[in-house]
Amino acid sequence: MNGIHDMGGMHGLGEIGYKESAPGYDEPWEVRLFALVQAMRTGGLRAYIEGIPAPDYLRMGYYERWYTALITRIIERGSVTLAEVDSGRADPASAKATPALTPEIARDLLSRSTKTEQDIELAPRFHVGDSVRGRNMNPATHTRMPRYTRGKTGVVERDRGVFDLPDIEQTSAEPKPQHVYLIRYAGRELWGEEAPPNDSLYIDMWEDYLEPA
Amino acid sequence: MSQPSSDHAQDHTDVPSDPALRVKALESLLVEKGLVDPEALDVLVDTYENRVGPRNGAQVVARAWVDPAYKQRLLEDGTAAIAESGYSGGQGEKLTVVENMSSVHNVIVCTLCSCYPWPVLGLPPTWYKSFAYRSRTVIDPRGVLSELGLDLPKDIEVRVWDSNAASRYFVLPERPDGTESMSETDLATLVTRDSMIGVAMVASPTVGGVS
Repeated sequence: MNGIHDMGGMHGLGEIGYKESAPGYDEPWEVRLFALVQAMRTGGLRAYIEGIPAPDYLRMGYYERWYTALITRIIERGSVTLAEVDSGRADPASAKATPALTPEIARDLLSRSTKTEQDIELAPRFHVGDSVRGRNMNPATHTRMPRYTRGKTGVVERDRGVFDLPDIEQTSAEPKPQHVYLIRYAGRELWGEEAPPNDSLYIDMWEDYLEPA
Repeated sequence: MSQPSSDHAQDHTDVPSDPALRVKALESLLVEKGLVDPEALDVLVDTYENRVGPRNGAQVVARAWVDPAYKQRLLEDGTAAIAESGYSGGQGEKLTVVENMSSVHNVIVCTLCSCYPWPVLGLPPTWYKSFAYRSRTVIDPRGVLSELGLDLPKDIEVRVWDSNAASRYFVLPERPDGTESMSETDLATLVTRDSMIGVAMVASPTVGGVS
């Protein structure tokens, strides 16, 4: 979606607030929340974060957006009700669930990677060295194709293998495994003549995002 | 597409007056309902707080500096080489290592959200997730780096890596001068998290420092 989250190339979004050696979190509750998200095994929450209205998205802190996305998701799937979240108390009539994440699985999660690459033989549409152009697409739903790549021409640097298209991962559509390519864009192609001539940007693109240039 | 329904989103867009209390309340509710096992939660918290972090990445970098065969494996298949050093798991499923050289400088960003190589760097710092870093790093990497204290000469090629997809990126910084006699263990103490994101260089050890 053409949401506020797709902010690559925008100006005027405040300060970076850089601090050398800043930690990955500022408050203990932030880590706690992140652990809750993992423990609830909600699947991807990106679409829920991206669905937060722009004025709220900009006002909230990073972990507040996760909090909102988590609540929205677990209410939607029926794990809790809004009334329970608001009161902080379980509805006495509700059945007791079995935790999705046991300590054993939690430990295992951290020692073993979940392979997202698909072992599927698919003929690639593009090859290393091909010139490709980002398609002009404007889905109102989740995509990993940033706006700044649309209509821009780059070169295939590497074939990453086959991955499911994330654009449909939260729909009921059939999975759409396809090749993902590492694309190199010249800085000047993306940002014009003002960009330094040698600079470039690398990004992974699913096959559906590209057309021959 | 399961967009969050706007009524729920709006109900919860009020910034909690005390987020710590709101999260604590949510945790209690989820535990009470049997949805979350507190012990599993503790395992995850311990991981984020203590087990993943830039010290892991620093070990990988130091090993690559002293072991050319390891470095080659690292650049060819980051996931496998980093797993070989004992680090894998969530958000590290596909790790690509990019090498800084005298002629090339790499910097990592995630414009869409906050993708980051957790097993080797831990959770991303707040500034990495700031709107300004996310928006500006792709269009003006040199300006951003300069603001963060790293001025790059014009003849150095800058490569920006936008981690939007399955791959997570990790910068192998240049080994600084004056470290020829240092051990792998001592070298690891020089490597900063920010140098592995690509917003800083690894500084030479100061006189009287680590030797």
